[in-house]
Amino acid sequence: MAYADGELSPAERAAFEARLAHEPGLGREVAQHRALAVLARRLAPLEPLDHEWRRLAADPMQRGALGFGWISLGIGVLGLAGLALWRFETNGEISLIERGLVLAVVLGAGALLVTAVRARVRTLPFDPYRNVER
Amino acid sequence: MIVATTDNLPGYEIVECLGLVRGTTVRARNMLRDVGAIFRTIAGGEVPEYTKLVAEAREQALDRMLAEAHELNADAVVGFRFATSEVAKAAAEIVAYGTAVRLRRDPLG
Repeated sequence: MAYADGELSPAERAAFEARLAHEPGLGREVAQHRALAVLARRLAPLEPLDHEWRRLAADPMQRGALGFGWISLGIGVLGLAGLALWRFETNGEISLIERGLVLAVVLGAGALLVTAVRARVRTLPFDPYRNVER
Repeated sequence: MIVATTDNLPGYEIVECLGLVRGTTVRARNMLRDVGAIFRTIAGGEVPEYTKLVAEAREQALDRMLAEAHELNADAVVGFRFATSEVAKAAAEIVAYGTAVRLRRDPLG
């Protein structure tokens, strides 16, 4: 077994190989052990979580909570950001220059985001790696 | 093409060393996935969003390295390794590298 698993020292290995040359039964035993090791690797347990991930993804409660979570979070974040921007831009106590600069930052960031999303959407169909899972 | 982490390939003889081949990529997932991953890290366990990200980067880096090896008409890449570092948060940078070689069947192997 140690020979088949490559765990013998060079001297032990040489001695064992000398025996192998004269003992056909021993050779068969080594071959069987190697075949068993290959089989054992092939029979390695499948990812135990796969079926659970699929079951969870199909679960109505999970899907509903996820959908609600994303929509609620999206509305909240966008709404708060919009409201904050509106309050800031309509606040007469803040100078016109400051309001203009903040608006420029927001518009610039928005434009850059649009270009990044456009580039991704255009290149997505040609990205062969997007289906790699793990 | 054979890709091996070992420096030699049993049954083959290296007849020519063609030099270093490598492939690099930096990939990111979208921000919504990152938000989802934040909640996963709170709960613990595997974060599939990032598993996928690293797997995508690994395959792309490997393919780029193989393309370079093909250009050199290599038969194999030996001493193959993956290396990673962080250049940006929530992005995976992976470098795949090895030595491109030409092989001949070892008559004694």
